[in-house]
Amino acid sequence: MSNTLSSSGKSLISVRQLSWHADGKVILDDISFSVEQGSFTGILGPNGAGKSSLLRCLYRFVKPDSGYVSLHQDDIWEISANDYAQQIAVVLQESPSHFNLTVFDVVALGLIPHKGLFTRAQVNDRDKINRAIAQVGLADKAGQSFEHLSGGEKQRALIARAIVQSPSVLIMDEPTSHLDVRYQIQVMELAKSLGITVIASFHDLNLASAMCDNLLVLDKGKLISEGSPKMVLTSKMLSDVFGVCAQVTEHPQHNVPHITYYYGYLSKEQDKAQAKVHTERLAKQQIDTKTSDKGSKA
Amino acid sequence: MIRINQTLALIITILFAILSCFLALSLGAAEISFTDVWTSLLPNVDGEQAFFFERIIWELRMPRTLLAFLAGCGLAVSGLILQTVTRNPLADPYLFGISSGASLGVVILVALYGGTLSIFTSGAAFIGSLVAMLMLLLIAGRRQSQQVESMLLAGVALSFLFSSFTSLLLYHTDPQAVAAILFWTMGSFSRAQWTTLWFPAVVIISCVAVMLAYRRQLNAMLLGDESATTLGINVNRFRIVMLVLSSLITATLVSMCGGIGFVGLMIPHIVRFFVSQGTVYGILLTALVGGIFMIWVDVLSRIVLDNQELPVGVITAASGSMFFLTLLYFRKNRPS
Repeated sequence: MSNTLSSSGKSLISVRQLSWHADGKVILDDISFSVEQGSFTGILGPNGAGKSSLLRCLYRFVKPDSGYVSLHQDDIWEISANDYAQQIAVVLQESPSHFNLTVFDVVALGLIPHKGLFTRAQVNDRDKINRAIAQVGLADKAGQSFEHLSGGEKQRALIARAIVQSPSVLIMDEPTSHLDVRYQIQVMELAKSLGITVIASFHDLNLASAMCDNLLVLDKGKLISEGSPKMVLTSKMLSDVFGVCAQVTEHPQHNVPHITYYYGYLSKEQDKAQAKVHTERLAKQQIDTKTSDKGSKA
Repeated sequence: MIRINQTLALIITILFAILSCFLALSLGAAEISFTDVWTSLLPNVDGEQAFFFERIIWELRMPRTLLAFLAGCGLAVSGLILQTVTRNPLADPYLFGISSGASLGVVILVALYGGTLSIFTSGAAFIGSLVAMLMLLLIAGRRQSQQVESMLLAGVALSFLFSSFTSLLLYHTDPQAVAAILFWTMGSFSRAQWTTLWFPAVVIISCVAVMLAYRRQLNAMLLGDESATTLGINVNRFRIVMLVLSSLITATLVSMCGGIGFVGLMIPHIVRFFVSQGTVYGILLTALVGGIFMIWVDVLSRIVLDNQELPVGVITAASGSMFFLTLLYFRKNRPS
C-alpha cells in the first residue's frame, strides 16, 4: 500500500522484496520501500535489527540474496562502482588511525570517483575542497591531522568529504553515536542543510523525530512500520519493538513527536506490573485524545 | 602555506640525496678526496692516479651507491604501501614471508649444487620469493572478507614455514656455505654491477609510478574497507594488486642485496611524523628518505671496520631502531 503511494511520487531509490541471509541467519527479510528525492529518511530499530545491513545493501557493500535496489529506476548492481560512487556518498563510523592524514587530505578523498588515475587536482578542485571544509566549520583545522580531531569534528570532516563527492544521496550509518548532544544536532542539521536526499540510521529516536520526513522501523530484519514520525512513533511501537514504556507527546518547537521514557525495568515483578498498567493507561489516554481530535474536526 | 612547505621539503631532500650520493663516492676503503671524485665524474681524465680513482668510482662505488639508493627507495615505498593497504602500522615488506622464501631458494641452491655464484644465487632468491608471494596470494586472494587478517596471519605462518626448512637444510650443509648464506641473508650491496642494475631500477621506478597514480585510492583505504568501497574502489582487488607490486619490489631487492630489514617498517613512520602521507609529496619523500638512509648505511658498512664489511642489515636494524625509539620518546613528551 505504502509502496504504491510513494512510487507515484518522485522516488529516487526503491527497494523491492530485499532479503539477505548470512551464515544461515536471516538478516533482512522481504523489505520494500521507496525514498523520495530530497527527503530525509531515518532508519530505526533496536541493536541487531538490520539497520546497518540494510544500509550496506543500499551502498552496495553487500549483495542481497534476493530482491533488488534501484536508483533512478536502474538496478544498482548494473551501474559501475565508480558511477555509483558519483551518485551516493556514505559517511560511516570507521575512521583512519595511526596514519597522518590531514583534514584536507581526507576531504579530498571525495574527488576519487570524479578523477582519473593520472589527473592532478585542479585549482577549482582545491577551491571545492576548501569550500566544503568551510561549510562544515573546520576551516581553521584544514591542515591539522585528522586523527587529532574530536569525534564531532571527524564526522563533520567526513561530511565535508561527502560534499566534495557531490552526490545525489547521502547515506549515514549512525553518524551521531559517541557524540555529545550538541554535535549530534549539529551533524544532523548539517546533513539536512545540504538539500540532497539523506538516508540515515539513528539511535536517538527524538533526534530522528526532529530531523526526518520519513521513518522506517526495522525489527529482526523485518520492516515493521513506515511513515512520517507522527505515524510511526507511538508508545505501542516503542513497547513492541524497543521493549520500553514511553509517553509520546508533542515537541514544543515543531510539534513533532517527542518521547519520554519510563524507567525501572530491572526491578521486582510488581514494579513491572505497575509499569504495564502505566503503559496501558497511556495508550488509553492517547486513544481518547485521538477520538476527541476526530470529534473536534467533525 | 602547507603546500609551499612541502615543496621546500621535497627540494631540500632531493638536494640532500644528490649530496649524499656524491659524498658516498668519496668514502670507503680507498680514500678519495672530493675534488678527485669531481674530476673523475667529468670526462677526459689524465694521469694514472686519476684513472685508478675513476675505475674505483665508476666500476665499484657508483653502481653500489645507486643500488643502495634504489633499495632504500623501494623498501620504504613498499613498506608504506603495505602499511596503508593493511592499515597495520607494523606491516613490513619482510612480514609476508618474501625474504624467508628467498633465503630458502638460496639455501636449496647451495645445498643441491654447493655453488655460491652470484647470478644463480640471485635467480634462486627471486624464484623463492615469487613462490612465497604466490602462496600468499592463493590464500589471501580466496578470502572475500577479513582479507587483511588472513593476509597478515598467512604471511607470518609462511615465514615460519620457510625458515624451518631453511634451518633444516642449513643444519645439513657444510659450514663454509653456511657462512656465505648467513652473510647474504644479512644484506650487502657488494654484488652491485652496472650490468644488473637496470633490473631493480626498472622494477622500482615503474612500481612507484603506479603507486603514485593510485595515491588517492591508497588514502581511501585508510578510511576502512567499507568507506573505500563506497568511493568506487574494488577493495580486495586493489589490495592484491598493491601486494603484488610491493612483493615484486621486495623480491627483486632481496635477490640482489639479500635481507635488509627494518627500513620498510621504519622510514614510512619517520616521514609520517613530519608530513601527511596522503599527497604525492608524502610518497616521494618516503622514497627519497629511504634512499638517503640506505646510502649512509652502506657508507657505514664500508668504513666502520678496516678491511672488512659489516652486513647492511645489521646496521639498518641497529641504527634504525635507536633513531625510531628516540623519535617515539620525544613524541610522547610533546603535547598533541
